[in-house]
Amino acid sequence: MADLVKLTIDGREVQAAPGTLVIDAAKTVGIEIPAFCYYEGLSLAAACRMCLVEVEKMPKMMTACTLPVAEGMVVRTETPQVKAARKGTLEFLLTNHPLDCPVCDKGGECELQDMVFRYGAGESRYNETKIHVPEKQYSPVVFFDAPRCILCFRCIRTCNEGMGVGALGVINRGAVSEIAPSSGDHLECDECGACIDICPVGALTSGTYRYQTRPWEMTHVATICTHCADGCKTTLGTRNDRIIRGNNRDRSGINGEFLCIKGRYAFDFYDAGERLQAPLARVNGKLEEVSWSEALLLVAKRFNQVLADGGSFGVIGSNHTSNEENYYLQKFAREVLRTSHIDHHRTGDVVALVDALSGQTGKLATVADLYERKAVVVLGADLSLEHPLLSNQIRANWRHHQAHVYAVSAGTVREDKYAVASVRVGNAAETSDPSRFAHPQGKASAAEYLAALEQLRDKLKAEPELVMLFDDSFKGGDVRKLVEFGESLGIPVKYIGLVDYSNSRGAIDMGLTPELLPGYKASGQPGLHLEEMLAAELSALWVVGANPFQSGAARKAGFLVVQDMFLTETAALADVVLPAASAYEKNGTVTNVTGEVQKLKHAINTMGAKPDLEIMGFIAREMGVAGSLGPWIPDAVFDEIRKNVRGYEVPAPVIATGGAAQTAPVNGRVPVELRPDLVHSDHNGLFASGTLGRYSKVLHTVLESRLSR
Amino acid sequence: MANKIDILGSAAAIAKGMGVTFKEMLSPTVTEYYPDEPAKFEERFRGVHVLQRDLNGMEKCVACFLCAAACPANCIYIEAAENTEQVRISGGERYAKVYNIDYNRCIFCGYCVEACPTDAITHGHGFEAASYNTSTLIKRKEDMLAPIPPGAHPPVVTPASPAAH
Ligand code: SF4
Ligand code: SF4
Ligand code: SF4
Ligand code: SF4
Ligand code: SF4
Ligand code: FES
Repeated sequence: MADLVKLTIDGREVQAAPGTLVIDAAKTVGIEIPAFCYYEGLSLAAACRMCLVEVEKMPKMMTACTLPVAEGMVVRTETPQVKAARKGTLEFLLTNHPLDCPVCDKGGECELQDMVFRYGAGESRYNETKIHVPEKQYSPVVFFDAPRCILCFRCIRTCNEGMGVGALGVINRGAVSEIAPSSGDHLECDECGACIDICPVGALTSGTYRYQTRPWEMTHVATICTHCADGCKTTLGTRNDRIIRGNNRDRSGINGEFLCIKGRYAFDFYDAGERLQAPLARVNGKLEEVSWSEALLLVAKRFNQVLADGGSFGVIGSNHTSNEENYYLQKFAREVLRTSHIDHHRTGDVVALVDALSGQTGKLATVADLYERKAVVVLGADLSLEHPLLSNQIRANWRHHQAHVYAVSAGTVREDKYAVASVRVGNAAETSDPSRFAHPQGKASAAEYLAALEQLRDKLKAEPELVMLFDDSFKGGDVRKLVEFGESLGIPVKYIGLVDYSNSRGAIDMGLTPELLPGYKASGQPGLHLEEMLAAELSALWVVGANPFQSGAARKAGFLVVQDMFLTETAALADVVLPAASAYEKNGTVTNVTGEVQKLKHAINTMGAKPDLEIMGFIAREMGVAGSLGPWIPDAVFDEIRKNVRGYEVPAPVIATGGAAQTAPVNGRVPVELRPDLVHSDHNGLFASGTLGRYSKVLHTVLESRLSR
Repeated sequence: MANKIDILGSAAAIAKGMGVTFKEMLSPTVTEYYPDEPAKFEERFRGVHVLQRDLNGMEKCVACFLCAAACPANCIYIEAAENTEQVRISGGERYAKVYNIDYNRCIFCGYCVEACPTDAITHGHGFEAASYNTSTLIKRKEDMLAPIPPGAHPPVVTPASPAAH
């Protein structure tokens, strides 16, 4: 570390690295310098003048947010002159600021309120008429109330730098300056809501949270977003068993304060009108509501019957359910139903990656690695649409550490803007097609990607280290070829095999496949794969949180039980449908795309629905086999997972306190024949999320607003 | 000697007492014949709350939750909603869709009135809140709203879906 600079702030000795800003140096000794426009991680604006301090030997007051520390500098933050300056700045900010606090969404967590309370004048000297501008709607989720804006430009910077979108700018000058979309009267953007979150006042407000409640009225529950596989922590504000908003202002979790539209707004599927709130059973060919006890008894009787008759069971698990549920389900299937016909929709070939990396440790990158490593290669996926958090991490890495980014893809991707090299292969999607936000379509073959990588070989070799991300273009042997390429570079390389959903990774780890037990142990008993199960004449098929019949396949199974939140195509074919709780309505753990385990926290209850684990436990109890399966309590099952599943010996306190711990899958060859044909990704873009996305009103509204333009 | 002073003292005391009696006999009576006659109140008596309307007959409450936050007995429950073109209830952007006060718990301290930025909630003079059934002590917005002032014409309200709530 370079020599520390010594300076004095308010009479206190401070040591800071050269280049540190005075505002940050003060923080290290507990001195708060008030600021509006300064925001950690964003470029400097020096727009608000709230942070003025006195510096000895400098003729005028300086902005602490742009002033780097210097040896022997003497800074004073509490002199009468500084206090007067703060008071004056606030008085100016309030000249046109409306007295909106009672109705303003920000009231109670407003930085302007707090500052005026601490540093402001008691009363206003401004008696003139305030400028009033009517509120505007910029997109389905972003509203703008110009008079409340204090022109700190945080929104513009977070959109431009943080998101890499640049959808906001400022128009006009002076007191009539306004924040406005770069594309006329509406936003063409990710609808991530970051600008709303970062706004210190209530100028930018959220279409879903507006006027719903006040911040102190909510209970805040930090849980994991249930949409894509990135595993962002989202803090849900709930009241009366309703989720009112999502954000992550405390920067806990692997995502800091980042969230995409799905983590911030698309929790609303839980409240969709189509949500199932009572079990359904087929009576005279039609699904009718029945009580829980009837439904469970029906399932248990039939399962016992099939067992007694020596019939065949098929079990299809989910990409969304928790590790505990997946573990219990496969145990149920293998030990009680004595079947190896168990599978789920595989969205990325993690098995091949784990196999190719056998014998090596520390080869799987974490979300944090994407921010810290010196170089990143993105293969295939349009990351900013399909894996918003990963894309954000890479962008931040480039901004803060000048990381070298290589984008190898079919179409243009956001990474192109700052990549040291962009290579186009295969067929690009039509970029002007708005529906590509739902499903980016560009496609190329693994061979084409590998050829492109060969071209980049010399450049990559020169990097000190590398992270490679690849999507389902690489399967089976191609993954092995990719790893061979990476290992031939002679530099430390880490890998991320992209998967689609919140617990896609966990489903594989927990052994929801016929050939692998939990922890990638060979099952030694061949079973049917998903497609084969649909085609087979099974005595009973049990589908938990999946929609395999979406393709319109005909039902062949003698008895079909479905656990789901909605009456999906699959549920509509079922004999018994059991209404399941969403991820926000239960406890458990999920494993994200980089293998990091995190805890789901129960935030709300929805009448009638039960967590899948409980449903399975009740079926076991009705069948009289609950004893052999153990308790259906998430914590108890997680303990069992930690003991039995290789790689899941993660520290319990880290998980329990809301942290993330990476699992280390196996460290040897995965003893199965790879089945690349079973792997296919849904390529959900920003505004899609499998079944859940279909029931999210926010995602629909945003997509419709796109398509109607 | 001492005896004479005692007698005089007692007589003075009686005279003083009777003086008060005769004076009160002649002054107007203050006895209230409640419940035969209506009870009288001081202007600032703190009774059952009244939710006020503005001159246009719109509700003054903008559902800011400050009264609920100030309430030491935690007896105010509010659900907020946004005013729209179709449903316009208050003068501000937001209105109280639900506004309940639980008079089992209210201690009539007046903090809510103090906290209200829009002078929407006030103490009325209602005091006959006693009940044999505690569930009737939770008063809803409709029970506390002031009548629409004469001559005021609040905008016509067409509830979006009356059955929704
Ligand atoms: S931005 Fe802050 S100060 Fe302004 S009205 Fe909203 S809460 Fe009040
Ligand atoms: S919602 Fe996100 S992408 Fe859209 S303008 Fe705001 S910060 Fe930018
Ligand atoms: S809208 Fe908010 S974040 Fe943007 S400049 Fe105005 S006050 Fe700052
Ligand atoms: S990036 Fe993924 S995990 Fe994060 S908020 Fe968006 S959908 Fe959720
Ligand atoms: S009564 Fe007054 S303090 Fe209470 S919510 Fe309504 S406006 Fe706010
Ligand atoms: S924080 Fe320094 S000028 Fe705004």
